[in-house]
Amino acid sequence: MKLYKKEGNILQIISFPTESAEKGDYLLVEDQDAAKALIAQVIDVQFAAVPGVLEELLRTLPDGGEPLQGEDIDPMEIAPHITYIQDASLLICKIRATLENEMLSPSSSWLPSRSQSTIKKLSIPMLMKLAKIDGKLPIILGGTKDSSLLTIDASAIDGTLNIITGKKGCGKSHLSKLLMVNLVGYRATVVIFDLNGEYTSLGMSNDGKRNMYYDKIHTLTPGQNFKVALEQLHLNTVMGILVNALHLPGTSAREFRRIWKMLKEKGKLNMQELGEAIRDLNCNQHVRDALASRFHSLANSGFFTDCPGEATLLDETVLKSKDQGGAIVINLKNTSNIDRQIVVEYVLGKLVDSLSNWKLKAVFLFAEEAHLYLRETYWDDIVTRMRHFGIFTTFITNQPDTIQENIYRQADNIFLFNFTNEHDLDVVSRAARVDAETVRSIARDLPPHHCLTLGKVVSDFPIVARVRALDIKTMGETRLFFKD
Amino acid sequence: MIEQYTITNKYNFPQPTIDTALPQRFLEQSLNSLKQVQHQPLQLNPQNLQQFSITEQYPSSIQLKPQPIPIKPDHQETLIAAVDSSTIKIGETSTGIIVAIRGATVWRQNHRYKYTRLGPFIFHITEENKNALYNVLERAYFSFSYGAIHQAAPNIMQMPMRLAGLLERWLQTMIAKTVNHGVILFDGSLTSGTFDTPVQRLKEILGYARRNDSTVLAFSKATTLRANGILITEQLPNREPPYLLETTGIHFKSPIILLGDVYVARLNKANFAFRLDIDKETSEEQRMDALRKLIGNDLYAQSYPETLRLSHILCTFTANEVLAIQHFITHKHGIQIVNRPDMHRLLFGPFGSGEIYA
Repeated sequence: MKLYKKEGNILQIISFPTESAEKGDYLLVEDQDAAKALIAQVIDVQFAAVPGVLEELLRTLPDGGEPLQGEDIDPMEIAPHITYIQDASLLICKIRATLENEMLSPSSSWLPSRSQSTIKKLSIPMLMKLAKIDGKLPIILGGTKDSSLLTIDASAIDGTLNIITGKKGCGKSHLSKLLMVNLVGYRATVVIFDLNGEYTSLGMSNDGKRNMYYDKIHTLTPGQNFKVALEQLHLNTVMGILVNALHLPGTSAREFRRIWKMLKEKGKLNMQELGEAIRDLNCNQHVRDALASRFHSLANSGFFTDCPGEATLLDETVLKSKDQGGAIVINLKNTSNIDRQIVVEYVLGKLVDSLSNWKLKAVFLFAEEAHLYLRETYWDDIVTRMRHFGIFTTFITNQPDTIQENIYRQADNIFLFNFTNEHDLDVVSRAARVDAETVRSIARDLPPHHCLTLGKVVSDFPIVARVRALDIKTMGETRLFFKD
Repeated sequence: MIEQYTITNKYNFPQPTIDTALPQRFLEQSLNSLKQVQHQPLQLNPQNLQQFSITEQYPSSIQLKPQPIPIKPDHQETLIAAVDSSTIKIGETSTGIIVAIRGATVWRQNHRYKYTRLGPFIFHITEENKNALYNVLERAYFSFSYGAIHQAAPNIMQMPMRLAGLLERWLQTMIAKTVNHGVILFDGSLTSGTFDTPVQRLKEILGYARRNDSTVLAFSKATTLRANGILITEQLPNREPPYLLETTGIHFKSPIILLGDVYVARLNKANFAFRLDIDKETSEEQRMDALRKLIGNDLYAQSYPETLRLSHILCTFTANEVLAIQHFITHKHGIQIVNRPDMHRLLFGPFGSGEIYA
């Protein structure tokens, strides 16, 4: 390989057919005189502009587009050399760092010698060693192209905002399950908003038997094993549900607050008494109607109960996970849009409550297709306010444009699967820790189950890996009509 | 250590006895010459060398008959074959030059073009080896009829064209020996009696073709022949092509002998015409028959036979091939490529156009 050009932080390297380099590979451009080296990543492979190639191709097409047939008697065997030159490729590489005295710096301000520099492939294990992508809490994401393992440190996900995105069916949920079970393995508390009920079997292995996580997976299905009694709720949580999920206007909210306090003082804080209090409320007709309609929504959700025995204390489940780690799967499958929002409001409110009282240290929140249940103002809340409480969110989506731009800008880690749509790639490339060329060029060609990992977990060295298999019962498969 | 090469013994024409002595000698001499240049620096200087045309001192008596001879296409299936060769200077060493030579034959049969390319052969030509090189190759070609003649080699700069000329004549001989009832196209004229085209050599080639009932038509891309002071290819009558214009009164001074009759051929409506030499020894009927079959069987772009055009295109060296040859001599023969400054550029800056154009 030979260094051809450097423009900004883009290197162009001539590579010959015997030197195979593909998109995603890392190269070390070493200038021994300068005692420095550039670490660059191949983001595109093109044909080198070898002079005369066009003539070479054209002269075999004389007329009518039919190739000219013939025989080349080449006693000196020059033809392999012609092919060698003709098949030379131009590697477009993005400079990721400068290596000097075994220390990495993000600089690309110096120019290595074009004639004296040596260029060789940098293996992923070597890169990981140089970039210190290791740690005490390893999570094996999968295998890289050079058959090494991509291992990230769980602490690099701690306190961060993460996005897992890619086309449908390329393995997003699989990766999120992998991250979850590993976090649980390291005794972390994980909460999952499970839209399709595909995380409910995290505790089962493929053959249907219980796996090592079985006792740590707590599935809560609203209306079934997940109900709450009003007396267990804090007024702020209920107000959050009414205002944010059910869009209760301000005047009506004030009335509700008054009714709540009155019932609490009487020790009659239950659904039946609440319904009657609203019905008997002596106030403006519109306010009463507004409160009545919200009450019916709460009652119809099946999420609220007056029977203390039926009520599940989320706090208790959270506490179970606190010491030994565990995943609380909020199963939102078969839940209506309004009910979903009620449940999510409740869970987030309770989590903030638990975290602010230091009942919990921190929670890793995994939110699948969050736009379907998260109110707009929560996006900012999650990335700014809730982060300080200790809620570290991972968004999982196949529609990257449903996540707001400021989320991308603040994302610390992006796990990117294949996208072919330009618009989707444009959206993802807005992330602050990603350069648009890398995303556009590499993500477009990612095979299924291969993930481009970007951000803090890989010390800002984008690495492609095939996500490793998990022995967990699959539940996320699409139901098919034409299937035995 | 240089590997020993052997020639691929599968020439494409259906002839049981093909003489491969010349390509064999070409290969041997090529390897021998490259042995001498190992570990020497090579100054790159790729330069296409044109086959030089003979300076024809045309007599003032040349006349162009005003009445054109119309040609009607004859679509009877006939093999059209053409030959050309090419040479390029790859670079210079301190003792000589490195050149590459290649020849190509193209034929059209059953409405399809096919080709055979021979080469490239790479030679390191020096003042020391040029005589030996040239004479070995000459003897390989003329082992029977001219073996005793010991020719003086031309100067180094003419050597590539001479060597390419030898290869081209050998390919023409092979075509003339193997094509039956066909039309054979040569690039250039049928002028003989020069260093690179002795009379006997060209006579022999034309003789082989006649014996196989084939006709040789030689097309010149450019000519210096003038009638009444005007180039013969620029005096075209206002008539519907294809047609021929006959010339009279062409006689060269000894030792140059013209073995063909000279015509001007305009083969299609493109406003181009070419000098066409047809073997003198063929009958009028055979000449016209060959031209009719040529027009009926070949394609024409710019009034020039496609078969001949392809043979030229196929043997010409592209920039890619020059790079490959440089790669070959560097890797196989350990020749170190250096870039010496161009003194014209160095001394005169933007006013120095380089040695090639000086």
